[in-house]
Parts: sequence; structure tokens; C-alpha cells
Amino acid sequence: MSEKTGKHIAIYGKGGIGKSTTTSNISAALAESGYRVIQIGCDPKSDSTTILRGGNDLPTVLDTLREQSKLRIEDISAIGFGGVLCIEAGGPVPGVGCAGRGINAAVELLQELKLFEEFKPDFVLYDVLGDVVCGGFAVPIRDGLADRAFVVTSSDFMAIFAANNLFKAVNKYAPSGGARLGGVIANSILAAYAPALIDDFAEKTGTQVIGYVPRSLVVAQSELYGKTVIEAVPLSEQAQVYRNLAQYIDKNKDSVIPKPLNSPELKKWAREWGDRIFDVETGVVHEMASI
Amino acid sequence: MAHHVEGSRNSCAQHGALQLFESIEGVIPVIHSTSGCGVQHYLGVTRLTGGNDPFGSPPVSSSNIAEKHVVFGGSSRLREQLKNTVKVVRGDLYAIVTGCSTEMVGDDIAAMTKEGRDQDWPVIYANTPGFSGDVHNGYHLAVKALIEQLPGIWQSIGEKQSRLVNVWGIIPNQDPFWRGNLNELGRLLEGIGLVPNLLIGSGQGIASWKQLPEAAINLVVSPWGELPARMLEELYSTPSIQLQGLPVGSEAGILLRSLTEQLGLDPLRTELFINREEALLNHQFARLADSYYRAGFQREFALVGESSQVVGISEFLGKYFGLLPRSLVITDNPPDILREALISRLSAIVPGYDTEVIFSEDRSEITDVVRKGGAQLILASSLELDVAVESGVPFLAVSFPLADRIVLDRGYAGYRGATALLEDIGSALLAFSNGRYAC
Repeated sequence: MSEKTGKHIAIYGKGGIGKSTTTSNISAALAESGYRVIQIGCDPKSDSTTILRGGNDLPTVLDTLREQSKLRIEDISAIGFGGVLCIEAGGPVPGVGCAGRGINAAVELLQELKLFEEFKPDFVLYDVLGDVVCGGFAVPIRDGLADRAFVVTSSDFMAIFAANNLFKAVNKYAPSGGARLGGVIANSILAAYAPALIDDFAEKTGTQVIGYVPRSLVVAQSELYGKTVIEAVPLSEQAQVYRNLAQYIDKNKDSVIPKPLNSPELKKWAREWGDRIFDVETGVVHEMASI
Repeated sequence: MAHHVEGSRNSCAQHGALQLFESIEGVIPVIHSTSGCGVQHYLGVTRLTGGNDPFGSPPVSSSNIAEKHVVFGGSSRLREQLKNTVKVVRGDLYAIVTGCSTEMVGDDIAAMTKEGRDQDWPVIYANTPGFSGDVHNGYHLAVKALIEQLPGIWQSIGEKQSRLVNVWGIIPNQDPFWRGNLNELGRLLEGIGLVPNLLIGSGQGIASWKQLPEAAINLVVSPWGELPARMLEELYSTPSIQLQGLPVGSEAGILLRSLTEQLGLDPLRTELFINREEALLNHQFARLADSYYRAGFQREFALVGESSQVVGISEFLGKYFGLLPRSLVITDNPPDILREALISRLSAIVPGYDTEVIFSEDRSEITDVVRKGGAQLILASSLELDVAVESGVPFLAVSFPLADRIVLDRGYAGYRGATALLEDIGSALLAFSNGRYAC
């Protein structure tokens, strides 16, 4: 393995929950503060860094590797907003091959190319696909590659389940030198109960929420223009939310080995919250039952 | 797994399938896996089966996939390999076997096979990742592929033939004496007017497999022949006669009588044939008598091998040759449902005598059992030569792997196999009485 330079952060979460948007905005905010940042998309969809690059095409590591045996960092990277070095690992088309092995191969190749020694980043952010479905997707948190992992989740139960799965992976690998958990990023916060639900999950699993990102039209609008909120609407409240996240990741070194819930515990927890939400939505009032 | 296995003699499923396909004339196997599977098969299996390798090197087509095929899928590599194989090697049938990595990735082998068929190439496939089981499972997977997919290539089934017998359960090379055993079974069947369909070995090609549905009966000589027999019964209503082991010596006569009854053959002809064979075998016993008593042949023995060998050989030696089965080790992991039956059968070979029967493929456990059993003759694989030397007892290699024997046409099944066994055991005992190991 090449010598590790900078702080390496892995960001996980259920597909479609806003990982890439969150990661890209954090990268942009870190870059805005003057840091050298690399963002590596570890997802066969290859759209992690799109909004850092104005929506332009970027050849993925694996596609390029398939075409040519010798490649250079320039072939597979692009400089995005604020000088963020953007890389997409890429992968096979759906239903074919092994995307997990692809992540493994791409990360190995980046190390062989001495990416980190050459670029000398202050931060490397790995934006990893949906769930930790197999060993391949655990590569960034294994073998001491990333120092800390963060999980993005909404108050949707499926997103919480995916977060719990990541906790299981961290729990497995952290004792032998894998990444520890930095915390939970609560995303798409809209419903009044959402922060409390995510807080409760974090507390039950021995971790903490490091920021609440409200659902905002500004984000969607910026993405349509191929930009992060930091770039498109730098003075917005939303941009400040991402800056606060970036600052937390930069300044705060706290990390834990989470205590994931087992399947019956998780189901019971979800059912209790489901009942409480149902009661709130349908107007049932219980004594001393404010959320 | 609860414990480790040292020096297993059971290779992987892919190798079992390869062994079957390679033993059918005109079948060209195509391995779809990483490089090394074919070489490992040659080094770890073929080379240790008494010289059963036809070419002296592993001439097997392989897609040798690399990392990019794992990441992006290896189907196109297989397509290319199949096309090249058809161009370079003429065959009656191309049989794709897969390996661990291509199955993990989920390559669509059925689609590639169909593409080949669409070009009028005779192609079948078997999904044979090593992790799906051992060599015996691989034999099952290959046989299943042939039974299920061949009718799709030829699309015609002949009439039933009242004398045709399919022979199942002998796994080529896993039984190093498979050619000799099959030849003898074929000779015995012919002796009572039947037509053997041996399916593998010399002169056995795709035409033999095309005849599968036409057979009057399936003869099964090991637990591993039960699956194809069941499939043929379901597909073509073919009945079967199932033995737990190879018929050695007079057990062959029992088999021939039951076939005669089941198929309504001429009993007189069968009895004449059996009488002639029995007379010859008795003559051999008589000729051996002097050496038998002079060199002290009658002794306790240990036998290590596949269930069909252990049943066949130990019963012949115990019931007909006066030897005592001390430790019997069955190495092919027969299905649990059969184990009780095997134990009761083998424990009772010599009434009143304590025979130990165990199931193991672990070299160190087998060595311990053989050593502690204290038998004065060890019949086993070459892996047990050391314990024989250490224990200072005579030794004969009779099961896989065979490192020090050439086996071309020798077998231990039937009447002639019984004679061969007497010769080989006699030689080992005689040599040892003269202070040497025969082989």
C-alpha cells in the first residue's frame, strides 16, 4: 500500500439518500477553506462527482483500465470546483460482473499510481454505493484505508436499516485496523419527528448525529445546473449547513465503534417509532407522549 | 467447518466434471475460470491415477479470465474461447465447465451455450464452481448436464432395447482402476447376453450417451450412480438395480442372477457362464494355496478407499479369502442416509469379528485409525504408504491417489478383478515376507 497522505473519510448510506450531494458539498466546502481535496466515487453509477465538475463526462478508472493497460492519473481524473480532484471508480453495467471487486481493483490501482503521494491531499473523501452488500464495498473502511466513516441517512426506515448495516461492517473491521465511525449525517430533514427519530437511532447504537441537512429546493436547483450549493448559492443557509459539516469533519476527531442493533431489536425499534409517527399523523394524543 | 481436513483426496466439483467429460471420446471440455484450474486438475488428480492421462500434459481449453473479466463479467471471454476451441479442436461435443470466480461473478453461461448452439455447435454446460461440492458432486453435475441437455442437441430418442444396460457410479480417475473395472463389468454383462453401455472409456463416445434413454435397466455400482439412475427413471421410466459397491468375485454371480431374473434372460445361459467363471476363480484360489500358507496371507487388513471399493474389496477378502477386515475407512463422504447401512453391512462381513468402519477424508485421522487398528496388511492410497512403512506391515495402493503404480487395464471388479486382486495382494505379501515392499 502506498503511504497514506491526508485524512481519509468514507461516506456511506442507502442509495438515493443524498450521499453524493452531501459528499460533494462537503468536498466543495473543504476546498473553499483552502484544503486540497480528492473525492473518489466508489459506485458503478459513476455520478458521485458530477456536481463538482459542472456535469461534464469523466472516464472512470475501470473503464480506462479496460481500454488501456498503462494509465496515468490525468487519464482518470478531473479538477472540479475549488481544485477538488474528482475520480470515479466506475464498474460494470447492471447485472454483469462484480462491482465489489471493481471497487477493490480501482482502489488498488489508485494506490499503485501513487495518487496520494503525488497530489498530497489534505482530505480524501470516498463516496461509497448504497449498502455494504459484500466485501468489495467494505474496501474503503478495511485495511486502514479510511480513518473514519460517516453515514448519511434520512428518517426513512430503509435508510436507517442501511446505516445499521454499515455499523455492522465498521464493528467488524474497526478492531483490526479498519475505519471507526465518525457519526451520522441526517439528511432530507422535513418531518418534525425526523431529527428525534435519527437522534434516537444514533443514541441506541452508541454514536451521534453530526449535522441535520434540511430538505431544500436550493439543492435540487443547484444540481440541475451541475453545481454544488457551495458553488451555486454560496450565501444560502443550506451552504452554511454543509460548511458546518465540513468544519466538524475537519476539526472534530471523535470516532466510535458503533453498536449495531440486531434484527429483532431493529424491527422492534422501527415498530415503536412507526406507531408513534402514526399516532402523531392521525392526531392520537397520549399523555406525556410528545416527540 | 468444525475441523480442518489434511491431505484430502477429494478434489473439487469442477475437477469431477472435467474427469467425466475427459473420459468420453469426442468430448472437448472448455474451462471457464481463472488460469490454474486445468493445471491443478492435471497435477492434483490426473497425474496421480496410475497413468490415465492420455496426453501427458493438460491439453484443455480454458478462458483463463483476468481481473477485468471479474469486474465487467467474463461472458464475452467465454464466447471468444468457445469460438476458438471449435476452430482448433474438432469434437463431437463441447462441454463448458465453470469455476469459482466466474460463478461468483454470475456469468451467463446458459446464454453463451445458446449462442454456440445457434451456430450449430454441439455445446452443453455445467455450472461447476469448486465451492459447490467435491469431485463426486462434480460427477453428478456433469452427468446431469449430459442427461438434460443432450436431447436438445439431437432431438431424437431411439426405441427401447431390451438388452441394453447403462452402467453408473464409477467416477473416472477417482477410481484409478475405472477402465479395468468397467471392462470387466461389460464382459460379465455380455457373458449373459446383455449389451453394456459403459458410457466412459475406450470406444465410449457421444453415441453411447445418445443411447441412454434406450436402455432396459441402469446398473448402479456406487452411491454416486443413484442420481443419474433416478433421473433416467423419471425421464424414461428406466428401472435400475443398485449395488452399494463393486461386485468382486462371487458377488458378480449374484448380480448376474438378479439381472437375469429382472430382465427375463435365459437362466441356463447365466448359470453356465457363472459356473465357468467360478470354476476359474476357484482354480486360482487353489493355485495360490501354497503361497497363502507359506507366507501367512491370512491376516487382519485395513482398507482405505471410496465406498464402492471398500464394499467390494473387503467383502471379497473377508468372505472368500479368509482375511479379516480390521479397519475400513470410507473416503468419499457418501450421503448420510447410506452411512448406517454401510456400517451394518461392513461390520458383519466376518460374524463375531470386530471391524471398525469410519468415514473420513482427513489424512491424519485416517493414518491414526490405520495405525491404531494394528492391521497386518494395508490396502489404501499412496497417502498411507508412510503409515505402512512406520508400522512395518505390507502395503498395496488400491485407491486414489496412486503415486507409484501404472494402471492401464487393471481392475478389481468381477471375477477377473478378483484374480487381479489376488495377484496384487499376493505379490505384496510375498515381497514383504522376503523383506521388501512390492510397490
